[in-house]
Amino acid sequence: MRNPPTLALTFALAASAALAAPPAGTVRAPGKHAEDTCSACHLALDDARLSTPAKLTDNDIHHQQGVTCAGCHGGDPTSEDADVAMDAKKGFRGNFSHQAIPEMCGSCHSDAAFMLRYAPNIPTDQLAQYRTSKHGQALAKGDTDVAVCTSCHGAHGVLPVSDARSPVYPTRIVDTCGRCHADAALMTRYGIKGDEIAEYKQSVHYATLVKKNDLSAPTCKSCHGAHGATPPGISSVSNVCGTCHLTQRERFDLSPHKDAFAALQQPACESCHGNHAILHPEDTWIGVGDKQVCGGCHSAGDPGATAAAAMSAALAGATTAIDTAEARVDRVRKAGMLMDDADVKLEGAHQSVVLAQVQIHTVDPARVGEQTKAALSDTAAAGKMAADAEAEIRYRRTGLFISLVVIAVAMVALILKVRSIER
Amino acid sequence: MSGPDGASVLSRRSLLNWLLGTTLGATLGAALYPVFRFVIPPEVAEAPVNRVLAAKLSELPLNSGKIFRFGARPGIVLRTSDGAVRAFSAVCTHLNCTVQYRPDLQHIWCACHNGHYDLQGKNIAGPPPRPLEAYKVDVKGDEVYVTKGA
Amino acid sequence: MRVLESLWRALDERLDLAPLVNFATHKEVPQHRHSWAYYFGGLTLFFFFVQVATGILLLLYYRPTAEAAFESVQFIVTRVPFGWLIRSIHSWSANLMVLAAFAHMFSVYMLGSYAKPRELTWWSGFALLLLAMGFGFSGYLLPWNELAFFATRVGTDMVSKVPLVGGWLLKYLRGGEEVTGATLTRFFGFHVAVLPMITTALLAAHLAFIQRQGMHIPEGLEEEARQRKAIRFVPNFMMREGVVWLAGLAALAALAAFFPWELGAKADPFASAPAGIRPEWYFLFMFEALKLLPSHVLGIEGELVGLGVFALAGLVWFLVPVLDRGSRVGHRSRAFFVLGWLALAYILSFTLASLAGVFK
Repeated sequence: MRNPPTLALTFALAASAALAAPPAGTVRAPGKHAEDTCSACHLALDDARLSTPAKLTDNDIHHQQGVTCAGCHGGDPTSEDADVAMDAKKGFRGNFSHQAIPEMCGSCHSDAAFMLRYAPNIPTDQLAQYRTSKHGQALAKGDTDVAVCTSCHGAHGVLPVSDARSPVYPTRIVDTCGRCHADAALMTRYGIKGDEIAEYKQSVHYATLVKKNDLSAPTCKSCHGAHGATPPGISSVSNVCGTCHLTQRERFDLSPHKDAFAALQQPACESCHGNHAILHPEDTWIGVGDKQVCGGCHSAGDPGATAAAAMSAALAGATTAIDTAEARVDRVRKAGMLMDDADVKLEGAHQSVVLAQVQIHTVDPARVGEQTKAALSDTAAAGKMAADAEAEIRYRRTGLFISLVVIAVAMVALILKVRSIER
Repeated sequence: MSGPDGASVLSRRSLLNWLLGTTLGATLGAALYPVFRFVIPPEVAEAPVNRVLAAKLSELPLNSGKIFRFGARPGIVLRTSDGAVRAFSAVCTHLNCTVQYRPDLQHIWCACHNGHYDLQGKNIAGPPPRPLEAYKVDVKGDEVYVTKGA
Repeated sequence: MRVLESLWRALDERLDLAPLVNFATHKEVPQHRHSWAYYFGGLTLFFFFVQVATGILLLLYYRPTAEAAFESVQFIVTRVPFGWLIRSIHSWSANLMVLAAFAHMFSVYMLGSYAKPRELTWWSGFALLLLAMGFGFSGYLLPWNELAFFATRVGTDMVSKVPLVGGWLLKYLRGGEEVTGATLTRFFGFHVAVLPMITTALLAAHLAFIQRQGMHIPEGLEEEARQRKAIRFVPNFMMREGVVWLAGLAALAALAAFFPWELGAKADPFASAPAGIRPEWYFLFMFEALKLLPSHVLGIEGELVGLGVFALAGLVWFLVPVLDRGSRVGHRSRAFFVLGWLALAYILSFTLASLAGVFK
């Protein structure tokens, strides 16, 4: 050690080590976990609370991008000495209180210039949004039972939203929110019923999401917002539904219901379709009777009820006509007739009914009637084609019957001839 | 054959011969007529299942679309503003309405629930969950042929 | 008329047609109480001619690939003028041909016409029956509809049970392990080339034997035949046969008019089998018997035992001219006579019961 070259070498090594180690709390360039002494020690601990976070680092996006344990918790990640590594003077902050988490995450995620290094298009408004949310407002008032960043995204082993294993992947959001919102006992404290999760799972939106894997189908965050999670106000319901259901919203805006619902301070779409348990609408819903949606405001005999009855009748008429025509065309097709033209007409009729159902939102029987009339005209055409085909079948039978008669006469003539030559 | 009814025997025999000849001839004719009609190919030479003459190029101005029929199903052939000809199934992947071309948006659009597809048939807005099935286009002179299975 | 006469004379000069004419004009058909049975062979031949004619017509439009077969039959039935008629007649005539063939075979058996010297005729005839059933089985698949696809799958499954060569046979028939487009193409080849070629050869032989040997007069009816005098083949028997053939034609027209053959739905190899698949009616008597057998008989798989029994029965039936010793000397055995009735009773009862749904 007294040897000058060895001394110089040792000094050089120490200096480079000091220069290489960044100050605690700042981000390092992507490095290997082996250099991160936090994981190395924590993995070997018996206490699951302390060892589990270290086990999750392989799949964690922060670690993959080079933000390791020290990036959030501070301390000295290069030291193998626990007292040095977890020294408050080196910036070690230890575990975070529930209150502190949003600010902690926001210290990087709200810094646009900083996030630009990692994901140029990632939003940086999460913290600002969170502060407007019910969760954020309650947290600010001191409620530590509400969700913070880590409640939904996890703390260690954080996956990107696009990863199907992430708790905030579209198909999994409902169960993540459900961790609290399905607990009725917890929810009564906030005046929330607690059945929303169960109701949503009955809906067509949920079915589309998980069965058809259509990720564009709405889940909790689509209507309530993700970070700014708040139930839509009464006046904003039709805006929220209308972001996807634009055609229905446009028709609704043309109708007297728009002003009526605003005046009554009632949520528009929700009044007939529900908010969470949104089921596939049926034509039979239209009317003022039992299990029908118009009776909530209208009573039998008033203009609304009359309009409802007219629209209901128009739709029922069109649907029945289509069913009858389809059955007839099918029968003839099975008998071997070409019914392509009839199929085209029936497709058109189906489309007219779909358009009629959209027009229901205008609550104008004339507009609905326009479409159902088109449907009836198409079914009539298809019916005529089926009738023509049936006539063709009868014509063929007649022709063959005539040929049978001819053959029978030929047989008789032949028999007579045989008799005559054998006499 | 002589005898009191010799003449009637003869005419009875020739009546029988006539009857036999006529009915056998009619039977033969009735059998051969369908065969003759059968062997002459019909107007539409083959089942329009895989390939169809969708449109005439001269009837497809730039930035326009036309619906054509593939058997019983609708197809849409469109000409973009720079002259390319493309064809897709016109059955909307949402609820099977027939789509149309919107020259103002340069999109394929479905009137039922406001679904939008781009000029590659890809679903870009609204409820449709999948792109439109693309077809192969062959332009022969003025004729635009569309084949299934692009 | 004179044109025909000079044409005849020209041919005669070159080919010496006199012996042929002599043969034809002297050929006689004996008459006795069972001579009505003589019409069945000709009727089968008539339906075969109809099959060849309508088959060639269908060939003008049919496409033997899994992608196009169903559509091409649909095209024939909906767009080709009278295509519906040609197709319906082809399907019905196939059934009537097999029916006539069975009637012909059983009447020949019951009358003991297989006896020496007509063994070759019996053997070629039995082969022709198998060929007819082969035509039916291969043709049934060609429209490539649901019922046909699954019936073929079940039917070809049976051959895999044959010991030793079963697996190879299955692959040979199916053109692979499963029923696919390859099976369709192969069955098409069997149906329009292989089977017609073999059938033509055997049919020519069968008819040649009959011409050479003349019609068989059943045992005990020789006296009656002598007394009732035979009728001339040309023109008397031929005219009578014409009446029978016209009746066959009428039956085809009636069936095509009132029971047109359905198209069904296109085959989907990945769909599950629809309820109630079964083979064509002429296979039912075997099909139902096989289904009745327990899964194992004395340790051997039930179906294999069943197939073995049928193979054995077929062999006995085939060899009856040899096994029935008495028939070689003009006294056919009573035992074989009874066996024939039993076979007929079995086939008839099982077929009718199956069609009536007794086996469900």
